Amino acid sequence: MHEQIRREIEKISESAHKLRTLAQDNPAILKNAEIIATFAGILKFITPITHKEEN
Amino acid sequence: MQYWNPYLETLPRESLTQIELSYFRQMLSYAKDHSRLYQDKLRGINPDDIKTLNDIGKIPLTDKEELRLYQAMDPFPYGGTLGTDIASVTCFRQTSGTTGIPVYVPETYESWQWRTEVWCHILYMAGFRPRHRVFLPFGYNVYVAFWEAHFASEKLGCELVPGGALDTKGRIHKILEIRANGMMNTPTYGLHLAQEAKNLGIDPASLGIERMLCAGEPMPQATRKRLEELFQCHVFDHIGGTEPCAWAGMCEAKDGLHLIEPFFLVEILDPENLREEVAEGEMGIVVVTPLGRRSFPLIRFNTKDLVIKGKDCCSCGRSSLKIKEVLGRTDDLRKIRGVLFSPMTVEEALRQEFPEVVEYEIVVKRIGIMDEIILKAELSPKLGNDEALQTKARLMERLKVKTNLSFHVQLEPPESLPRYMLKAKRFKDLREG
Repeated sequence: MHEQIRREIEKISESAHKLRTLAQDNPAILKNAEIIATFAGILKFITPITHKEEN
Repeated sequence: MQYWNPYLETLPRESLTQIELSYFRQMLSYAKDHSRLYQDKLRGINPDDIKTLNDIGKIPLTDKEELRLYQAMDPFPYGGTLGTDIASVTCFRQTSGTTGIPVYVPETYESWQWRTEVWCHILYMAGFRPRHRVFLPFGYNVYVAFWEAHFASEKLGCELVPGGALDTKGRIHKILEIRANGMMNTPTYGLHLAQEAKNLGIDPASLGIERMLCAGEPMPQATRKRLEELFQCHVFDHIGGTEPCAWAGMCEAKDGLHLIEPFFLVEILDPENLREEVAEGEMGIVVVTPLGRRSFPLIRFNTKDLVIKGKDCCSCGRSSLKIKEVLGRTDDLRKIRGVLFSPMTVEEALRQEFPEVVEYEIVVKRIGIMDEIILKAELSPKLGNDEALQTKARLMERLKVKTNLSFHVQLEPPESLPRYMLKAKRFKDLREG
């Protein structure tokens, strides 16, 4: 289950990054995309991969 | 759901340690690249050399004085402690300055959300849920106190009532009016609010508070239980600071404090040499590394909190290591007439055995070559003269037993001693300076 969750988090992170690139001239979209990226970062922090999973 | 994050909170210890080491290495690299303080402190240290918990001892400790020194540099006001571009700082916080010049702490949106997530763990562990209407009896300020509680309550889905602009009577009436059932406050203010309610003819238990989270001061078990008796509610503790954030909280078992892992790498070190990790049941000084906060990198920060190390298991099922007891701060420990004294011993004795002591202050003076320790005590106005004198005699006797020091006890008139909203300053050592 965690692998699936991590994949979704990665997708959110990538989407937020793309949005930021696309919205350089729109402060509202840019800021909201940054906020999404912040929470994607927190989601990554709270779903770390353990040694067992790596092996 | 019992846990805020079931995945993290029940991970085997071995996995937690491995994750914390990995996060520690990442934070070390980040700090070396982004903070002037750590560019200097970590010169010659390679993060990849940190392979086990034992290797962490190779990294120097950080203390508050270094933060003060580096914050004097550019850019104003954070200087070399800043771990990010100053334009991305969204909030200013500062320490209280109790021990010297305040330390200014920068938060970015990202670092603040990380702190908020930590606090969600603390609140959820203490049983706060969306059904709670949480009253915050504080006006927020430049200090971090209760800002995190505010943001984390919202994130958790609690209904937050900011009661800062009201006075204590106003707050009591507002709690009753809106039927608040949660509260967060310093232990001192909880006791004060209960006394004020009684003065208004209101039983504090009738306020309807179900859960209370205390912050800002060390809270011995006796004080926690006194608050539970007064409000007939569950009272929880936690510990932290402005620089590292809150790093441990209490679960429903109310048996010590859980470290918030893997958000922090917490070491409990021998007070004599600040090198070796102490064993379970031993006293140590807490050294903390926040592992995901980049605006203000802190590596092995000496909190000066003195604790008893606890177990790594709990009836709640969480796998995080526990603090058995918080003893106070090394800053507050004093040698008086050759005896090591902690003001927490007095706090505990008074809250446990002397409910008639409404407020108090401890003063240490030097008269000639002799140290004198005085307890100024304000007693309940309901006490008659004879009862007050009996209490005074009993205080002298019990404090002698508890501290091995002979106290002069001075009875003070009602409402004459200062009341505190945040950090109480009930201990005054006038021998210094």
